[in-house]
Amino acid sequence: MREVISSSLSDSEGKPEFDQDLVDAMRWFDLSDHDRALTSELGDIADDVGERIIEAFYTHLLADETASRHFRDDAHIAQVKKGQMRYFRELINADLDSSYIADRRRIGSIHERTGVTPTLYIGAYAFYLNKLANVVLDRMEDDPAKAFSMVLSLFKIAHFDMALALETYADTREEAIKARERELSELPTPVLQLRPGLLLIPVVGTLDSYRARALTIQLLEGIQEHRARAVVLDITGVAAVDSAVANHLIQTMAAARLMGAQPVLTGLSAEVAQSLVKVGVTAEALSTAGDLQRGIELAEHLLGE
Amino acid sequence: MQVPAPLDAMVQAIRRDADVISARQMGRALAEDLGFSRPDQALVATAISELARNIVVYADHGEIELTTLQQGDRQGIRIIARDHGPGIADLERALCDGFSTGNSLGLGLPGTRRIMDEFDIRSPPGEGVTIIAVKWQLR
Repeated sequence: MREVISSSLSDSEGKPEFDQDLVDAMRWFDLSDHDRALTSELGDIADDVGERIIEAFYTHLLADETASRHFRDDAHIAQVKKGQMRYFRELINADLDSSYIADRRRIGSIHERTGVTPTLYIGAYAFYLNKLANVVLDRMEDDPAKAFSMVLSLFKIAHFDMALALETYADTREEAIKARERELSELPTPVLQLRPGLLLIPVVGTLDSYRARALTIQLLEGIQEHRARAVVLDITGVAAVDSAVANHLIQTMAAARLMGAQPVLTGLSAEVAQSLVKVGVTAEALSTAGDLQRGIELAEHLLGE
Repeated sequence: MQVPAPLDAMVQAIRRDADVISARQMGRALAEDLGFSRPDQALVATAISELARNIVVYADHGEIELTTLQQGDRQGIRIIARDHGPGIADLERALCDGFSTGNSLGLGLPGTRRIMDEFDIRSPPGEGVTIIAVKWQLR
């Protein structure tokens, strides 16, 4: 069910089609055609009082300093009001299909981008529902049971809407985090020449396979460019060292060796060294030195100085 | 839908490399809170790292659940690694050093088994992999 609501974002660009995910999602919200039929009957009342509720809402909204900051001028307010009218009309009687979901998600992502917080969004929603429900119960005094079930159906759809919006918020954030991670992993690792023939590469952050590949390329290019014969790879700044990271390091160092440079690994903490050995990473594949200074000394020794 | 974790459990969803780091840090912090020695904190963190990494590489997504155990006057950390991936066809081989269907050292599972006090792995066909590993505090 969760997939629904999140996966429909990627579908939104393509053709809207009826899918199993949507069916599952609607089942989870206990939403049926019956609910849709009931809320559609609210159409007249909603149209009738919609504008008034929205006006009241804006009075409420513009009185709030944080919320009112979202509006530039009256023209902007008018435009957003129009959008809101449409939004609430669709809540009452739009078909709950893939294009509805895509549209709700689009609105969610606009909200996320423009800084409309979930509190603001859900608060606005609650305001509208509360006002509308009161009007409905009022006007249908002669059939309160029916009025109540109409309102309940409306609440179901509203919750479905809010779930869509929140999923979109989370997805948008997640995309942003992923993009940042990609940027970070693309940060170049400096290749420093300490003296002719000797390179130092401080590795910082997370060493995933993408980054390890980039590191290997940089290392090999550095060896070629500087005609290096020894390379000190310092991993003091690597957040987590496990067998996968060790594997990347072993391969990077093997590549350096093939290029004719002696690699020395430094910066393993005592705890990490111990756990790597227990995991089964053997030291034969890695020439290591206790700390950076010793690493450089060892590299110099390897250079024959 | 999955069986909910016990209330005192900490759960980290594992979907990508960054989650491996989060799970690892969560484990290290828990081990530190319980007063595990520094080397043992590193062992717990490494075990979580290996198990979480396997989830990312082989199953795409899953979760790591950490629970504190109490036995007499000593405490332990239970790691449950759960995924709904393709599962492991040959558990016995998967637990051998150097065996890997990916391009890795093949130390993740046997290594984790070595550094933990208790280790149990299950992979019923079609149900992914569940690994339960426990590290007890040294007395």
